[in-house]
Amino acid sequence: MSEENKQEVLGRLKDGVINYNEEAVKEAAEEALEAGIDAYEAIMDGLTAGMVVVGDLYEKKDYFVPELLMCADALYVGLNVLNPHIKQESRGEIKGQVVIGTVQGDVHDVGKNLIKIMFEVAGFTVHDLGRDVPLEKFVEEQMKTDADIVAISAMMTTTMLGMQKAVEMIRERNPNVAIMLGGAPLTQEVASLFGADGYAESAGNAVQEALKMLKNLREMRKK
Amino acid sequence: MSPTAVMTPRERISRLFSRQPVDRMPFFSGQGMVTLPVIQSLGLKFSQIHLSAEAMAEAARATVERYGFDAALVPYDMCTVPEAMGLRASFYEDTGGVLYPTISTKWGSPEEVIVPGNVMEQGRLPIVSQAMTLLQQGLGPDYAIGTWLLGPYTLAGQVVELDVLLKLTMKDRARVEGLLDRLTEMIINIGRAYQQQGIDYISLREMGAGSDIISPRVFRDMVQPRLKRILDSWRPPRVLHICGATDPIIGYMNECGAEALSMDHKNDLAESRRKVGGSTLLLGNLDAYRLLGQAMLEEVRSKVLESSRAGADAVWPGCDIWPELKEENLFALAEAVKGLHV
Repeated sequence: MSEENKQEVLGRLKDGVINYNEEAVKEAAEEALEAGIDAYEAIMDGLTAGMVVVGDLYEKKDYFVPELLMCADALYVGLNVLNPHIKQESRGEIKGQVVIGTVQGDVHDVGKNLIKIMFEVAGFTVHDLGRDVPLEKFVEEQMKTDADIVAISAMMTTTMLGMQKAVEMIRERNPNVAIMLGGAPLTQEVASLFGADGYAESAGNAVQEALKMLKNLREMRKK
Repeated sequence: MSPTAVMTPRERISRLFSRQPVDRMPFFSGQGMVTLPVIQSLGLKFSQIHLSAEAMAEAARATVERYGFDAALVPYDMCTVPEAMGLRASFYEDTGGVLYPTISTKWGSPEEVIVPGNVMEQGRLPIVSQAMTLLQQGLGPDYAIGTWLLGPYTLAGQVVELDVLLKLTMKDRARVEGLLDRLTEMIINIGRAYQQQGIDYISLREMGAGSDIISPRVFRDMVQPRLKRILDSWRPPRVLHICGATDPIIGYMNECGAEALSMDHKNDLAESRRKVGGSTLLLGNLDAYRLLGQAMLEEVRSKVLESSRAGADAVWPGCDIWPELKEENLFALAEAVKGLHV
């Protein structure tokens, strides 16, 4: 396949995600495999590139939560086709493990699910505890999996205070784990106040933040 | 009555809504207003104030008396109507601490939603009604009693899986609109029943339709007509509350017909005042969590003044008061109100 044709297929993957066109994404993903495009490259330069644009559109208020969810669905369709064909050498080292869930008392998991997708795409192993998760469950799962990161989400002001308790409980058992908080009522200021290492302002920024946290964590462990 | 005469809290609120002079700014809310110190002083657990009329009313009454609010408000949680529709709520009775009730299992599609005909007899709605009666008896005629209901879009997100609702909003709007119409009629009926009980004001809370969730266009086309219909069906005074991003939709909110609009701290109040003009009351934009849970006392006082100068017509937290607050901050807020003349 010529470079020009390859870019055309990757462009269709990207546009399919941006335009939440699941059918177009499926077709382009299958075509990519048939043409011998590396599956990981198709994910990163096609699907993920599309999701980056979606994140920008959300920031600019051209897209809102319903559009984000539909783009994520299109992304998932592509991932389902491409993921089984990823070669380990393409992916490189696994970036880390994440325990993720929404805090007890909060049944809203829309944001958490978006963040989860972004972690998976970036190559993290994700342990999803779901929603309305008892605080001790975050501690138990982190200890069980030795995850590098615990990511906790809350969508309402009335539930976000549980996060502070969760951070304290996790730290008490394992001071070296990196903790990331996110969700509609959160701000960087509140996340810091609660003792978190990272704050996910949006799905797009969560992975960057996680990678930064992970780097710090690993440097700390080497010392 | 001269505006300098000392008014009862109820007169103060009544006159505010009818745009007559008041002796000082009213201090009240349309969102949850109960604190842990109050609940503990009554020997109750947080979960209990949702489950019995006596505990619900007693916590509301004690909140008014402890902090000097002009009104009491019930209920406290968002599950009363979903429960009356047949869904099961979790109250976290064994967990302790402050956890608001949640609906753990929702319907999977708009068509599965059941709207009962005799909704006021279902779930905890009789408890809420009884709590209102107890409050009227316990506080007497000098205090106002308020209540609130979720708007149809937010309620839809409480009874149908939220991601399903949000995606259908884009993919198959007619299915969502069919549900919203059914919920709208039910909300009208519940609000009317509360008004027949003699409550003094009612707030319609549509926080699931702010501009950080759906677009202003979807709000205008899908949500605004139903909010108008509900507010037109209730008698004044009526408040429309949306927290989160409201700057892009404040004009649409103002067209819905409420006497007052309520927003949280993300709203640019001065700009909202400019957009809506002087005929609509503006309430809120005080950051209920930060101001009452984190801020220094001086900041509490200055934010109250700032909000008043920006165009607020009452001292009204922009969201639910978080029960585990710094109590001295709420006392400072109450104290700051005393110096605010309108």
